[in-house]
Amino acid sequence: MSTRPLVCVVDDDESVRESLPDLLREFGFEVRPFSYAKAFLDSDCLAACDCLILDIAMPEMNGPDLQRELERRGRHIPIVFITAHVDEKVRRRVLEQGAIACLYKPYSQADLLAALHAAIPAQ
Amino acid sequence: MLITDRYQGPMDVDPRRDALSNGDAGREGSGMESNFSRVIDLLPGLVWTALPDGRADFVNRRWCEYTALSFDEACGSGWQGSVHPEDRPALLTRWQSLVASGEPGELEARLRRFDGEYRWFQLRASPIADASGEVVGWCSIATDIEDHKRREEASAARGRRFEQIVDGLPAIIALFTPDGKIAFSNRQMLEYLDETFEQVQAKTSAYNFHPDDRDEMLSRWAAAVQSGEPFDFEARLRRADGAFRWQWMRVFPMRNAAGRIDLWYGLSTDIDDRKWAETLLAGEKRLLSMVAQGDPLVEVLGALCRVVEDAAPGRLCSVLSIDPDGVRFRHGAGPSLPAAYNKVLDGLVMDRYYGPCGMAAKLKRQVIARDVSSDPRWAASPWPALVVSHGLKSCWSTPILSRDDKVIGVFALYQHEPASPSQREFELIRQFTQIAGVAIERAQSEQELRRSNAYLAEAQRLSLTGSFTWNPATDEHYWSAETYRIFEYDPSTEVSLGLVLQHIHPEDRGLVDRVVAQASEGKDFEVEFRAVTASGVTKQIQVLAHRMPGQDDRLEYIGAMLDVTESRRSEEALRRSNAFLAEAQRISLTGSFSWRVATGEIAWSEQVYRMFEYEPATPVTLDLISARVHPEDLPLLDDMFESAVRGVPDFEYEHRLLLPDGSIKHLRLMAHGTPDQGGQMEYIGAVQEVTDRRVSEEALSKVRSELAHMARVTSLGALTASIAHEVNQPLSGIITNANTCLKMLAADPPNVLGAQATARRTVRDGNRAADIIKRLRTLFGKRDPTSEPVDLNEAAREIIALSWSDLQRSRVIVRAELADELPPVVGDRVQLQQVILNLLLNAADAMSGIDDRPRQMVIRTERAESETVSLTVQDVGVGLDAESAEKLFEAFYTTKSEGMGIGLSISRSIIDNHGGRLWARPNDGPGVSFTFSVPCTADGPAPAPEPAQQSAAAGLQPAMVKR
Repeated sequence: MSTRPLVCVVDDDESVRESLPDLLREFGFEVRPFSYAKAFLDSDCLAACDCLILDIAMPEMNGPDLQRELERRGRHIPIVFITAHVDEKVRRRVLEQGAIACLYKPYSQADLLAALHAAIPAQ
Repeated sequence: MLITDRYQGPMDVDPRRDALSNGDAGREGSGMESNFSRVIDLLPGLVWTALPDGRADFVNRRWCEYTALSFDEACGSGWQGSVHPEDRPALLTRWQSLVASGEPGELEARLRRFDGEYRWFQLRASPIADASGEVVGWCSIATDIEDHKRREEASAARGRRFEQIVDGLPAIIALFTPDGKIAFSNRQMLEYLDETFEQVQAKTSAYNFHPDDRDEMLSRWAAAVQSGEPFDFEARLRRADGAFRWQWMRVFPMRNAAGRIDLWYGLSTDIDDRKWAETLLAGEKRLLSMVAQGDPLVEVLGALCRVVEDAAPGRLCSVLSIDPDGVRFRHGAGPSLPAAYNKVLDGLVMDRYYGPCGMAAKLKRQVIARDVSSDPRWAASPWPALVVSHGLKSCWSTPILSRDDKVIGVFALYQHEPASPSQREFELIRQFTQIAGVAIERAQSEQELRRSNAYLAEAQRLSLTGSFTWNPATDEHYWSAETYRIFEYDPSTEVSLGLVLQHIHPEDRGLVDRVVAQASEGKDFEVEFRAVTASGVTKQIQVLAHRMPGQDDRLEYIGAMLDVTESRRSEEALRRSNAFLAEAQRISLTGSFSWRVATGEIAWSEQVYRMFEYEPATPVTLDLISARVHPEDLPLLDDMFESAVRGVPDFEYEHRLLLPDGSIKHLRLMAHGTPDQGGQMEYIGAVQEVTDRRVSEEALSKVRSELAHMARVTSLGALTASIAHEVNQPLSGIITNANTCLKMLAADPPNVLGAQATARRTVRDGNRAADIIKRLRTLFGKRDPTSEPVDLNEAAREIIALSWSDLQRSRVIVRAELADELPPVVGDRVQLQQVILNLLLNAADAMSGIDDRPRQMVIRTERAESETVSLTVQDVGVGLDAESAEKLFEAFYTTKSEGMGIGLSISRSIIDNHGGRLWARPNDGPGVSFTFSVPCTADGPAPAPEPAQQSAAAGLQPAMVKR
């Protein structure tokens, strides 16, 4: 079990939290879903998290905020952003901030896996 | 007896004694005869005897002595010479007849005495008969009755004179027995009663007294008879003509020798004239004192009528006064006339052809209508019938004249029978007409005086002006009520200079003291000072005084005192507010003006001259204005002028001025009209220079429209993103689940349970996506409008207000013709307003290129047919050709670059959703009219639109476009 990388999903959309972990587990990832940013920050997964799949638009603390918070804490977790809003400005910014990828919903399985592999090269 | 005495003396000395003696001697023969002869001689009378034929045959000595005839001379017929020639024939005749009859008899005749004096004698002759009865001679004795006769004559003369006097006295004189029977009446009395004494005697006592006086008279009589004292009283006694006249009756008792009253002597003087005069005088005095006391005119005239009616019984008195305008009669008094008749006279227009009163007033002379029903002068008037219906038959009207000879009333007497005034009544009328005149004139002048006094007091009160007089030497003051009021003194206050000075404001005291000093030298003065009244109020008082004219020896001032506190205050306030206004106008670039449309008089404030860059005080004319108005805006000016001529109460315009230096000013003008007394409109208005504002507004507007455009684009973009987000979310889920599902099924062994779960999630997310699409369709597609009652007028007014600024900027003149009592429609107010706004902006846009005519837009609401209300927006813009009209409502069709085309399409769908119609129709003149009609609430909720209705209506509406 210890060999399986841990992917954390933070999205306020329930259908994502339901569907994405199932898919990622099928590809051999350990997955922990969170419905909001604070829940993730407060969890015990921060240290073990190999990749963070993060929604951009969320109530309270949104995706980029969480990204900055993690940087601030020195937690350099690879982040793959997913968003239903097609907004290149936001996408560019989050990538500049160090995100691995920013995928527009609906994304393809291939794009997702490619991003995950980029985030977790060891695998 | 007397005769005997008188003739005793001369007997012895008479020389004829001898002759007698001789005679005696001649008849001596017997002693008896001789004695007889002596006796006869001694008898105190003249005795003679005569033969049977009458010749004297003997006279006694006294005869001879008296007549100085001798015996012989006297015998025979010689005695006849002693008889007075006047008496002689009668005597002889009588004597002859006596002799012939042989009977004794008496005769009277004057006999001449020896001294030639004739004296009356009574002659008694008796025949002497013998035994056989034959007359053998006569014996006569003449007795001197001269004295008796004289007394008798004197008495008779006295009686005659008394009777003459009694008859001649201008009084009624009568004698009465104590039981009241008349014993004597003088001629006056009989004439007064026109009866004979016998007739009077036959009547009962006091029958001719006035019934009201009779009882008193009888009781006074009875009392007098009882007491034996004289008495007097006044009573009315009926004259032969039936008139009762006042008499003053005095009754005295007459006592006989025994001291008993056997007769009463009555003396009655006619005092009727005096009594009449006294009554009238008393009445006149009473009336004049009423007038003097200022009794109400109606009371004075009422009393006057009663006095007249008392004085002239049977006459009904009326007094009419005349209105100050000289047109109508006013009822003055008519206490005995029927009220209904008085009422007719009150307010009657004076007309000489109506009746005698009108004629008397008009002709200014007395008019006597003896018998009204037969008088030809009023034959055509209803008046005779009217008076006759009240039982009146005659009327005497006399004009009442004022001192200056104006007719101020009419005095009239009415009678129940045809009659003319007696002399006394003429006099009565003259006298009381005069008194009525005094009373009326007095009342009028008093009223005039009261009125003018009231006016003066009121005028003083209103103008806060008091009057006063002041004598500096005596410190006497007379103050009018208002003067007291100004100083707040009680009107009973004893005014003195010292008192007034106490109330002068300390700072003005010096000034006032100087004026007082000047006044003492007789100089007129005018001063304004402050006074502090008893209540502590400071008043500004202006005093103007002149020396009273015509008093050289006496210095007295008459003056006016004005409380100018308020007017000083308001003058100051006015000055300040004028200054404020001018400054405010200068600062706010606002001017004011007035405009009398009918006369073309226009007045400008200074600021307006500045705006138009004309010299102040240049006479303002429409041409002067036109010369400055921007040529493109002249139609606005024309429109304004037309509105003003129509009398529109309010108008508001924005127009530009093109000034000589080529610069442009934007002016905003607002005016409100008020009809003056002659019904002519006078507009008062304000003109504001809005150039800077307009320029910045235009800039702002440009920015705003850019922003609006951007906002539209942005919101469209925002909408796209939102739609994408909403749809992408479930899509993402679907794809993920589907991938998971495939992966699970591809595993070995396939994870069927997992795949089923993911497939279920796929279905769920698919439904979710479908829901989103459905929601979007609802948002953009057809939907039912919210239903509420909407007042289209109100909705239109709001939109006009909302777009006012835009329309003004586009120089569009909006005229709203909103129907009264428009029933509300049912619908979505905001959507309908969007439609109206859309039509308004379209119309404005359509006119943006129009410069050869006013850009006039009409917004009209009306109740079309029975169940719908329509709103039309009419422009004078570029118009539509038939082809354009066809395509107008197609989505994305537009003739303009700004992309408003979509508006009509949306508007159309909104109106459709309201069950109404929207169409366009070219005008008869330039431009297009867009109209929509929607059902009103008269028949309940808006019905769903039916295709049949639409197509039927479409035929009538060429601009309707089929979708």
